Amino acid sequence: MNWREFQSMQRVAELGDRFISYLDEGTGEPVILLHGIPAWGYLWHALTPALAKQNRVLAPDLLGFGYSDKSDCFDRSIARQAEMIDAWMDKIGIKRAHIVAHDIGGGVALRLATLFPHRVMRLCVMNTVCYDSWPIEAMLQFGHPETRRKLSAASAITMLKGALKQGFAKSPDDELLDSLLAPYTTEVGKLSLIRNAAALNTNLTTEITALLPKIEAPTLILWGEDDLFQLVKYGERLARDVPGAQLVRVKEARHFLMLDQPDEVAEHVSAFLKGEQVETAHAG
Amino acid sequence: MLGFGKQKQVTEYDADGECERVYHEIKQSLRVTGINLNFRTWAGYEKFFPAMWDAMRPLAETRAFETAADSVRAEAVRAADKLPRLENQARAALGESQAYQLRAALDLYHYINPKLLVFTSAVKLALDGAQPERGGKASADVELVERGVPARMYPMEMVSSEPEEERIKELFEDIKQTLSLSSINSDYRTLALWPDYLGAGWEKLKPIVQGDEYKRTSDNLRETARKLAHTLPFPVPLSRERVEELGEDAGEIAKTTEKFERLLPSLIINIALFSLDWKTPETLVQSPFPATPRRMAVQGGAR
Repeated sequence: MNWREFQSMQRVAELGDRFISYLDEGTGEPVILLHGIPAWGYLWHALTPALAKQNRVLAPDLLGFGYSDKSDCFDRSIARQAEMIDAWMDKIGIKRAHIVAHDIGGGVALRLATLFPHRVMRLCVMNTVCYDSWPIEAMLQFGHPETRRKLSAASAITMLKGALKQGFAKSPDDELLDSLLAPYTTEVGKLSLIRNAAALNTNLTTEITALLPKIEAPTLILWGEDDLFQLVKYGERLARDVPGAQLVRVKEARHFLMLDQPDEVAEHVSAFLKGEQVETAHAG
Repeated sequence: MLGFGKQKQVTEYDADGECERVYHEIKQSLRVTGINLNFRTWAGYEKFFPAMWDAMRPLAETRAFETAADSVRAEAVRAADKLPRLENQARAALGESQAYQLRAALDLYHYINPKLLVFTSAVKLALDGAQPERGGKASADVELVERGVPARMYPMEMVSSEPEEERIKELFEDIKQTLSLSSINSDYRTLALWPDYLGAGWEKLKPIVQGDEYKRTSDNLRETARKLAHTLPFPVPLSRERVEELGEDAGEIAKTTEKFERLLPSLIINIALFSLDWKTPETLVQSPFPATPRRMAVQGGAR
């Protein structure tokens, strides 16, 4: 599926003065897929078909990301994003859902699991931000307000494509990178991404560290073990802190493990959501 | 050709110093999320631009100005309603979120373009040495509207004026050639975010804009805007002499302004035609973002 087809399938929900776009495919127990920065819901395009065979798959673009509201007038922190997911679940009539999340989407998921535990059935985080693992240097620089003046949209895309390549085990083709960055090619998109980067805040994961041992949702931690952005040591720490959490290291995968090893990741997530044991030689 | 080619535009990304200050104020005072082509072009005259804005700003914040733009919008909708409908079939192919955002984008331009036309007519009047007939009212007698971008207004997101995608490039060339433009307007650049929709819509629009009825409608709208600009409550402290004093070419600026005054009515009608595919004329004659009166400071505050 190319990104334009994915975009044309997105639905929309108004949340107060803001709106979010989201994919809603399949039937069954709902699973919410949360992307990270600088991606959007399209991140999950390779995983969606497998999950939609057994679940209702909901993949929102976080506020300020993708084709959700990109106005320059609201908070995009993971705290706000978690509140937004909570409000959105009410809006579309979902009381509880499985949460599958990556990168800062994982930060949102951890906040949901600790602060809105009634919302989370099963939790799967992948190469997630946690503790003080973030923001990474490149995103800190990108989020500086002066970036708006220093980089045109075209230059920003070139820079981001270069940075994103580091997130893959195998060099991704240009079409995939263009698709992941498609919503940010305009000046409005660029500015929105800068504001998203400016909202990255370590404190919003450190403040929930003490709550991690209280997470009751069954938890799977998937980690592309060669990730240079979010090191696997954080996954190991998370696996020790969250009761009963299982850590699965995905080989030959970096940050974007769901694109490096789509079949393996789909297999693990599908089994986990069905409540089956995740079988792997690499389980940590 | 409505050429602004000699004059370099200043994009929001490029704006700094006084230009950045004025761009911010334009968005606050005109209640809009972005800077349209006429301002980007005027901004190329770097001495003229802040002087023009400072002269026009008091007018642009009045209820009278907002109401004048509302009248232009309503007239455009009634006129567009008599033209053939676009019935853009590509509408059906848009997803739910795409359609939602497209409608929001149309609302943005449906709101701002009539304001730009009245604004441009008022600048032209001033440069021609004319002043509003009722100009000279004491500011205390004039109602002001709230400042700031409406909460739900769509960001003025646009594809590049020199797009890489071949079909958008070809579309822009055809629009520019047909409408005798040297620069593509913000409106089309925004609609190009949904290229299939713009492509199909333009195919329907193209023969309409070449017709006599469309031209008459466009001329009438310009006349209305001029008349309304005459009724605004303040004089505009701007003249060709003042522009020359600033070291700018008053003749060239007057020509540029006149070209925008000629171009804007058709943009307003085109957006009305696109919008009529989505909303009834009765809805569209209303402002999509009605302005509430500005709350006044109790004592000695700025208005």
